[in-house]
Amino acid sequence: MAERVSVLAERLVDEALRRGFEEAAALVGRTKAVMVKMFNSEISVVQRWSSLAISLYLAKEGRILMTTIHPSGAEKAGALIERAIKVAPQLRPSMLYAPLPEPARVERLEGLVDSAVVNAMSDPEPLAEAMLAEVGSLGVERAAGAITLSFAEKGLATSKGVKLEEEATGIEAYLRAFIGEASGQWSVGSRRLRVEDLKRVARTAAELASQAKGEAKQVEPGAYDVVLSPMVVGNLMNLVGMMASALAVMMGNSIFARVEPGSKVAAEKFTLVDDPRTPELLGSTAFDDEGLPTASKPIIEGGVLRTLLHNSKTAAKMQAKSTGNAGWLFPHTWTLSVKPGDAALDEMIREVKRGVIITNNWYTRLQNYVEGIFSTIARDAAFYVENGEIKHPVTRIRIADRLPKLLSNIELLGKELYDISWWEVSPAVRAPYILARQINISRPFE
Amino acid sequence: MHEDLLQRCVDEALKLGASYAEARFHRRSGSSIFTRNGELVGYGESIREGVGIRVVVNGALGFSASNSINWESLREAVAEAVKLASAHAKLMKRPIEFSDARLGKAKYEALCLKPLDSMGPEEKIAVLAEIWERAKTAVKQTKLMTLTAQYSEDVEEKTVVNSDGALIVSRVPRVTVSYNFVLLHPQKGTLQRRFEFGGSGGLEQLGKWKPAEHAEEEVVKLEKVLLEGVEPPKEPVDVIVGSEIVGLIVHESCGHPSEADRILGREAAQAGMSFIKPGMLGQRIGSEHATVIDDPTIPGSYGFYLYDDEGVPARARYLYKNGIINEHLHNRWTAKLFGVESNAAARAMDHDSEPIIRMANTYFAPGDYTFEELVEDVKLGVYMRSYMEWNIDDIRWGQRYVGLEAYLIEKGEITKPVRNPALEITTGAFYSKVDAAGKELRFYPGMCGKGEPSQGVPVWFGGPDVRLRSVKLGVVA
Repeated sequence: MAERVSVLAERLVDEALRRGFEEAAALVGRTKAVMVKMFNSEISVVQRWSSLAISLYLAKEGRILMTTIHPSGAEKAGALIERAIKVAPQLRPSMLYAPLPEPARVERLEGLVDSAVVNAMSDPEPLAEAMLAEVGSLGVERAAGAITLSFAEKGLATSKGVKLEEEATGIEAYLRAFIGEASGQWSVGSRRLRVEDLKRVARTAAELASQAKGEAKQVEPGAYDVVLSPMVVGNLMNLVGMMASALAVMMGNSIFARVEPGSKVAAEKFTLVDDPRTPELLGSTAFDDEGLPTASKPIIEGGVLRTLLHNSKTAAKMQAKSTGNAGWLFPHTWTLSVKPGDAALDEMIREVKRGVIITNNWYTRLQNYVEGIFSTIARDAAFYVENGEIKHPVTRIRIADRLPKLLSNIELLGKELYDISWWEVSPAVRAPYILARQINISRPFE
Repeated sequence: MHEDLLQRCVDEALKLGASYAEARFHRRSGSSIFTRNGELVGYGESIREGVGIRVVVNGALGFSASNSINWESLREAVAEAVKLASAHAKLMKRPIEFSDARLGKAKYEALCLKPLDSMGPEEKIAVLAEIWERAKTAVKQTKLMTLTAQYSEDVEEKTVVNSDGALIVSRVPRVTVSYNFVLLHPQKGTLQRRFEFGGSGGLEQLGKWKPAEHAEEEVVKLEKVLLEGVEPPKEPVDVIVGSEIVGLIVHESCGHPSEADRILGREAAQAGMSFIKPGMLGQRIGSEHATVIDDPTIPGSYGFYLYDDEGVPARARYLYKNGIINEHLHNRWTAKLFGVESNAAARAMDHDSEPIIRMANTYFAPGDYTFEELVEDVKLGVYMRSYMEWNIDDIRWGQRYVGLEAYLIEKGEITKPVRNPALEITTGAFYSKVDAAGKELRFYPGMCGKGEPSQGVPVWFGGPDVRLRSVKLGVVA
């Protein structure tokens, strides 16, 4: 029987202290995962992984060393600690150094493990067959996608006496459906497996592909109202979430670099929550990498920046409190939720005089993180809307604007929420459709 | 390393009914240093190692990986891969077959003139601290809001054994240095620049790169762009696209669409598809000046290898040749489907990853113009030397690059700086409008992402400066 991950973590912390480090933390992950990849409506490969990952935080006289190992055996971690103690004197003290925090009470998060996920891991093909059957019945010519199921054990120990353990399952599924040149894509990410969710992903992808049939036209560059699907909102909120990290702010990689908490940064209706304590969300967890309890809390609430995301190091540097988002160096979101509004999608579309609906996107890239100058490309189904009606599919457009303007120009949020996770949305985001006014759309000139 | 154990895995898979089996020991080990404003933030080390097993059973593909390198665990991994493949074999409409190939038995390594451990962490930190010092003193009229700098080194060791007789042992060390800074001016706002150096080999590369000197020059030039940059012309003008952007363009709009697995749709739900369809070899995509080559064998390159992860010997691939779609990137599976030989593009990021079709070092072939000759007969134009924002659609046709350091060209001369010109153009228009290419070939490192789970592999992209005639540029909103 394999050693418990928290026991292994504690053993490694003890070893680090014994070898001369003043402080240590060990985060041990043991993960089993299986992925079914599909294309042209058949399975292209099934992959299975079984891995052990050990991350160590080691500190001495303000010097910080971090190691990550995917070792062939835990004994290799010991060799790395031995090496690290020799490296330590050659380093300078870290400008971010602060002691590891004292242990705090961590309330266990119930419902992180779904036995349906564990059971499906031994025979995942039927899930793929169910998704492919669903789109097949809706006239889809071919489909591609992936289903990943995982079971992960996470163990944490620190030299302050933290010893914690958590188990969690995960499912991510997405499908791209094609009818001729038209395509639609959708996804789901959750701690829980519901076959109906997977079928809904397949159905939504098929419906979008079906709606996008017909000649896709280009639109002239300029300002349009934009209706963004939860897939697109998820992608953009990953960016906002990353920028909320206090270290991103210190690195000049954030629109919040010149903004104080308490400032208005978005439309009043907009609330974005870092949401680790909603157990069904993929990414949920009870404790961070320093052993502090996580909290679901707004990053932006009612359009106002409430907090940056901190670990105890960035908190000490910026005279703030840890928000339970360690990363030993880089604080990060766990999983995000956008607060819903009260609009139905068709009501939202009716509000548009001249606009576009973008159902999926990728390649969000920035010219300048501080000013949030970015562009992102629509892929799959996108539509031109005039006077509240969808007129025709559009192709090859991108949003090219400023992120702060997009956040400020949000006017409506959908009432239905979707749990999104795929290649371009990670960590997972729970999001509604949103409508933002007068956003710049560009396209290739020729 | 581990050859016998890997051979045993291959034999076991065949015994269990596989028609093809491959076992790859793969180790990545390295360290990284991260600084902000000349001060150390953190030092990290990492090791990933294990064995990836890939099998074909009854025409279906199975993959499993383990980082326990002992027979007991690996036998389990082999059985698992065979079981996974067998389970979905019945669903395969088109069984997987591999093309015939002349596979290698070879051992090679990328040479380090100055080994990675010949400098201690202290000296490497000093390299990064100097970037800050030089940049800080170069700023005259703006504020250097923040500058982060990163050093990383990585040694990739692999042993590949497969049932068709390949045995490839390799060792490739790599080094990168990158920096990222923000200039701030109270009225003009901010300007951000990120730049990276990278290659295979040892610390001798640092002397060639001179990162502190480079950052200092960038600060001086970009301060001028921030303070004095004007909007790009609204009418169509000639554009000289700097090699840094040309390299990215050919990677995105030639290399990616030339990946045969993407052409077939295998990456459709992730990295996307290709405007190139089966049967398009020989079609014109650009002017006679448009030749794009992908060559894994360039010594010192970031994407260097001599045999791919299926054991096929590497060679230069002429993807576009004088404006014609000439060759795709293949592994043995796609080569079989296209009726050609594999040109050795199969690569995996680590032991946990299946080998898939990847670029190595993709570049636009240089021409014979000096930079002055490219500029001298431009009446009105823009020279875009560097970029930050870029993206491309999922069939690799509509792309956008926003210039960072850019200048107006008037009557054959570079005049004033231009702020944020956006080159938003289709792949066809870009390659067709090239009327001249510079003679100086430069390369830039990148981490290319593809696959599910996403695999990042090191690549170089490069090219000379090239000139496009009559292009409409956009203005950043």
